[in-house]
Amino acid sequence: MTYILNRLLSIVLTLFLISVITFGVTNILPGDVATMIMGTQSNPAALAGLRESLGLNDPVIMRYGRWIGGLLTGDWGHSLVFKQPIAELLIQKIKASSLIVIMSMVIALACAVPLGVWAAVHRNRWQDTVSSSSALLGISLPDFFWGIVMILLFARTLGWFPSSGFADPAQEFGRALMHAFLPALALGLGLMAHLTRMTRSTMTGILEQEFIRVSRAKGLAERTVVWRYALANAIGPVMTVAGLQVGYLFGSIIVVETLFNYTGMGWLTYQALLNRDVPLIQATVFVIAAVVMLTNLIVDLLYLLVDPRIRLG
Amino acid sequence: MKRFLTPKGLIGLSLVLAILLIAILAPLLIPADLATRMTMTARLRPPSADYLLGTDQLGRSLFYRVMLGANTSLMIAGAAVAMSVLLGLPLGIISGYYRGHVDNVLMRLVDTLLSFPALLLALTISAMLGPNLPNTIIAIGIAFTPFLARIIRGEALRVAQMPYVEAARAAGTNDLQMILRHILPNIMPPIIVQATISLAFAILAEAGLSFLGLGTQPPQSSWGLMIQASRDYLDIAPWTALVPGAAVALTVLGLNMFGDTLRDVLDPRTK
Repeated sequence: MTYILNRLLSIVLTLFLISVITFGVTNILPGDVATMIMGTQSNPAALAGLRESLGLNDPVIMRYGRWIGGLLTGDWGHSLVFKQPIAELLIQKIKASSLIVIMSMVIALACAVPLGVWAAVHRNRWQDTVSSSSALLGISLPDFFWGIVMILLFARTLGWFPSSGFADPAQEFGRALMHAFLPALALGLGLMAHLTRMTRSTMTGILEQEFIRVSRAKGLAERTVVWRYALANAIGPVMTVAGLQVGYLFGSIIVVETLFNYTGMGWLTYQALLNRDVPLIQATVFVIAAVVMLTNLIVDLLYLLVDPRIRLG
Repeated sequence: MKRFLTPKGLIGLSLVLAILLIAILAPLLIPADLATRMTMTARLRPPSADYLLGTDQLGRSLFYRVMLGANTSLMIAGAAVAMSVLLGLPLGIISGYYRGHVDNVLMRLVDTLLSFPALLLALTISAMLGPNLPNTIIAIGIAFTPFLARIIRGEALRVAQMPYVEAARAAGTNDLQMILRHILPNIMPPIIVQATISLAFAILAEAGLSFLGLGTQPPQSSWGLMIQASRDYLDIAPWTALVPGAAVALTVLGLNMFGDTLRDVLDPRTK
């Protein structure tokens, strides 16, 4: 209980630090919001006026206070590019991205765990070489390159999936899945490669342990030993890595969504960055970091449930 | 040394050496005009005897451009990783060596920074500073620092508890000497391994940034930029994407294989 309370307290502190870093990073720029709104060619007097009215001349600490106050009271401001309330935009885009993030996680785990186990069971044989080499190839190519290959293959040549665009899952679920599939696959491949490597090394270690030898000596079927006994012990570390990779996923999502023109969180972040829409950049960066932090926390807590040996006081 | 003589180690080493050689020699051997010369009559040509790897949408030789791209990509990745090691070293060593409150505060900050996906952090910094070559290095360098600081801290923590460090302390060595003479040399091997692997990630990050237009800017030749330019011609000229893609893949693959082997050789815990 104390552990969970401590973690909750640390969430608040971490969220505060995330907000400070986000604000800091977005305030190192030489240009400012006023020039963004009016353009670089605008009249200096008008520019100064706008700066004053936007409060850009206030000390940093005051500007930060105003921003964080807005976040806390639900006033996330307006996007300069989309001319829409940021909160609305975010909710819409987060929904779109959740679909491909979850799909890519499922694809990655569904392929990586069997592949990794297969490699560990046949360690140093051809099966291991095949699995490990393909995993190495998987982590060596940028996701957007996989994306391009998939567009060429599945969209242009075979015509199975659309090569770009987005459909709202609430309205047309089937079409939404079709649009989400290729981006999810492009995201999932890199992740799958990481998880395969992780599963293989964890399983290799576990298969050498005493209790595995005992279960084999007991006469249990090899299938039971590997898939029930060994894997049950490997799944914790693999899940932790999968959780940590969510951060990586949210980085890649920017590139992949932009490539597939899939209008989710990553695409929104990119539009914000490209147009230097500072309020929107601050909001997207803050939300992504917060989501990554919270996911890691959830994974930690799940780990407690999955592995009863861990008891933190 | 024997551990290096595995197929993986040898392939990794040869790939890394070959690409290093290309990156260093390309700008010296390839006349600048060959890579930038636009031949409008030879646009989007497939690979042939005249154009070894084909040509791009402006009729420029992909062979020369991909070679020159090696220089840009490796230079940016190398400088960025060097920067993150240089920033990570003091952070990590101070944390791991002094422990206590300093460690708590620094690592809380580092952990928070780790909540920001490295690519997002790099993209944001680059967009904010204005995308160009030096800022791409700074952006990737800063984005990779928390990760390296964490690893360096772990190593410093481990080494600081070694008996020889205690012996040196008993002999009256002061903190600065201790860090420079005893801690630093002993944490270098795992850091070199990590830097090699980070180099692979930095190549991918540079390609990603340039692909999104927030990294290297034209007319500079970069693999990410080449892939980006190829997007509009995928149907008729897929090689314009495949050539730079393969260059990235071979480089990162080489670095990963080299890094894996280096870890086996240098890391005492896997012996």
